[in-house]
Amino acid sequence: MRIRRLAAILGTAAIVFAGCSATPGASGGGGSQAAGGGCTVGMSWNNYQEERWAKWDEPAIKKAIEDGGGTYIANDAKSSAETQATNVENLINQGAKVVIILAEDDVAIKPSVAKAIGEGIPVIAYDRLIEDPGVLYITFDNIEVGRMQAREIFKLVPKGNYAIIKGNEADANARFLRDGYEEIIGDAVKSGDIVIKGETFTDGWKPENAQTNMEQILTSSNNEIDAVLSENDGMAGGVVQALDAQGMAGIPVSGQDGDQAALNRVALGTQTVSVWKDARELGKAAGDAAIALCSNKDVKAVKDTAEFTTPGGNKVSSILLAPLPILQNNLNEVVDAGWITKDALCQGVTDTSKVPACQ
Amino acid sequence: MSEATAVPTTAPSREPSTGRARSVLQSFELDTRLLGMIVALAIIWLGFNIISGGLFLTPRNLWNLSVQSATVAIMATGMVLIIVSRNIDLSIGSVLGLTGMFMAMIQAEWIPKTFGLGFDQPWTWIVTIAAGVALGALIGGFQGFVIAYVGVPSFIVTLGGLLVWRGLSFQLAQGQTIAPLDTTFQLLGGGPKGSLGANLSWLVGGIACLGIGYSLIAGRRRRRKYGFPTRPLGIDIVIGVVGVAIALGAVAVANAYPWPPQLASQYAAENGITEPAGGLIIPTGIANPVLIALAVTAVMTLVATRRRFGRYVFAIGGNPDAANLAGINTKRTILMTFVIMGVLSAIGGVVLSARLNAATVSLGTQSELYVIAAAVIGGTSFAGGIGTIPGAVLGAVVTQSLQSGMVLLRVDSPIQDIVVGIVLVAAVGFDTVIRRRST
Repeated sequence: MRIRRLAAILGTAAIVFAGCSATPGASGGGGSQAAGGGCTVGMSWNNYQEERWAKWDEPAIKKAIEDGGGTYIANDAKSSAETQATNVENLINQGAKVVIILAEDDVAIKPSVAKAIGEGIPVIAYDRLIEDPGVLYITFDNIEVGRMQAREIFKLVPKGNYAIIKGNEADANARFLRDGYEEIIGDAVKSGDIVIKGETFTDGWKPENAQTNMEQILTSSNNEIDAVLSENDGMAGGVVQALDAQGMAGIPVSGQDGDQAALNRVALGTQTVSVWKDARELGKAAGDAAIALCSNKDVKAVKDTAEFTTPGGNKVSSILLAPLPILQNNLNEVVDAGWITKDALCQGVTDTSKVPACQ
Repeated sequence: MSEATAVPTTAPSREPSTGRARSVLQSFELDTRLLGMIVALAIIWLGFNIISGGLFLTPRNLWNLSVQSATVAIMATGMVLIIVSRNIDLSIGSVLGLTGMFMAMIQAEWIPKTFGLGFDQPWTWIVTIAAGVALGALIGGFQGFVIAYVGVPSFIVTLGGLLVWRGLSFQLAQGQTIAPLDTTFQLLGGGPKGSLGANLSWLVGGIACLGIGYSLIAGRRRRRKYGFPTRPLGIDIVIGVVGVAIALGAVAVANAYPWPPQLASQYAAENGITEPAGGLIIPTGIANPVLIALAVTAVMTLVATRRRFGRYVFAIGGNPDAANLAGINTKRTILMTFVIMGVLSAIGGVVLSARLNAATVSLGTQSELYVIAAAVIGGTSFAGGIGTIPGAVLGAVVTQSLQSGMVLLRVDSPIQDIVVGIVLVAAVGFDTVIRRRST
């Protein structure tokens, strides 16, 4: 009885959920088999519920694949590593000849990847690394993102007290970014010019956790913080709120992703830099590479690839795109690209003399 | 808070009357569990204070702690009623997220842009909160209906809710972070500007003292009226004095935290005040989220212990069949507990989004775990029928103390999770053993 009831409810919940959310590519069910001829490319999202994937990445990937004569199918693992393993197999069963994976967990996905490669299906690791020498790794250069953030902050505060707000500990990107910081400020830390007053990982990259952590760092250092290296924009939002509560908003703060709220903060001057990775370029690169892999399965033969040594010591073929640091003086780049409207960017900006994009 | 030290909601008669000392202690009718928690909290605070070299017990850190605990405390008061009546609500983090996102859309998108009425209207925050709370009540009512009238277990309904409401929250803003929020609304999230200042804080302290006095006197009068033995007068006086001291002490601590110097100078400059030599000292006082949490605690304690509805909830938890046979409308009562939970989740959404000055897709994820932990650490039993509102609020303060203290000591997040998890199980285990021994 109870089990049947449970099943009924879960079923209903699933229907409601599916009905309400535009499931990636609206093709989770497998109704859209390749129309014949073209090559089917499967995309496995780890968590579609993030601002950028649906809005920017997916349309670019889909377009590149369809322009190349292929068919795009996709599914979403909803932040579950186990679901993602099943999803990858589903994509292959649905006829995918190339699989693109945005990995929830860079290690847990390895068996599925090895299996796919074993079956002669090339795998593209999208934006997040997968520790398998056979994959094609396409991403923005995350160490470079870290360097860019640190460079802009270091320019403004070559000497002083830093706080470092890192992302989720289980995410390799959090470590890459920190490595990038080290390359820029490492020497200054050794010489004592820069003192790191607080450094913490942030569960799930959550802004509210970053806010609480920042409050505690300010408390323990008695507000003696001159600059904050925050690994992304969401957390920078929490950091700026914590600073604002102490009347300290305006000290240099870094971020990345080009979130609308963050770009607005750059215009307002409460955040120094948001390193912008144009997701459309990334999507296009992945889509083009997938089409190339349809005809030639050798991941090293895809153009513009270079060898990348992973933290796990694997050498993988990779395409690393260069990100763009967005500062107060080049905000026009994001407006011109149609990434954000001028109204949203300039909301609340009263002094436009320093913000050319708002004039 | 101290109101309930005087009026325990758990039946003290459960404890046996062996030994003279125990029976004397029993005649005091103190909630030993609540006392135990206060002692545990004191140990945690002193421990952190020593390890951190005196950083923990500063007005500033205690003030931070009070604000950081507020959201979980607000929701934990509702979770007590849910768990006491043998249900569970796993959806509250998602309800918080959805209502928070809904309110952010109202104040940052729909009112100013869609209707073209502009930002920062004086009435924006009221409309926003009314709509958000209504949505919370509606969601809670819907889940409560399915649970109470359709008969689907609450675990399943709210597990579904956890997925559905979070998904809807994503749909609402297409995954975007909505910020900045209305300037008046932001004040509900705390910060020096979102606090009461010295005078109003003392006023709140004064009201708390009157409340403590009144509840003690009314309690004695009521007992005499029905011919119950009253507590020794001396004990009531001690309880009253301690309660008043805690209330006024808390206000004094909140007022001892001055506005940050940078903010005070800005304020002085904006208002044309010449700064004195040592800088302008503005007492911060009780933060708005804390005021909200206190008000919610007081109301919920009243509802749980002094209203028929609260009695019904505890009766249902104690024995659902007996409650039903006694003529209690159990279905309606269960439905109402979920409506209350929905409303409290929406209030949690107000505080959390106002504090962050943004609504994100991840707003409130996993808060259901912290809320349930707070209620359970605070002595709410999954067997039903047992639990107190002030206990749950203390539970929220305990968990947040552990987390904030560890950040202060630079302990990283995975270790924090480990510690909180162990404390959760240890607290309940300890409690269970003590209980078993005493019966």
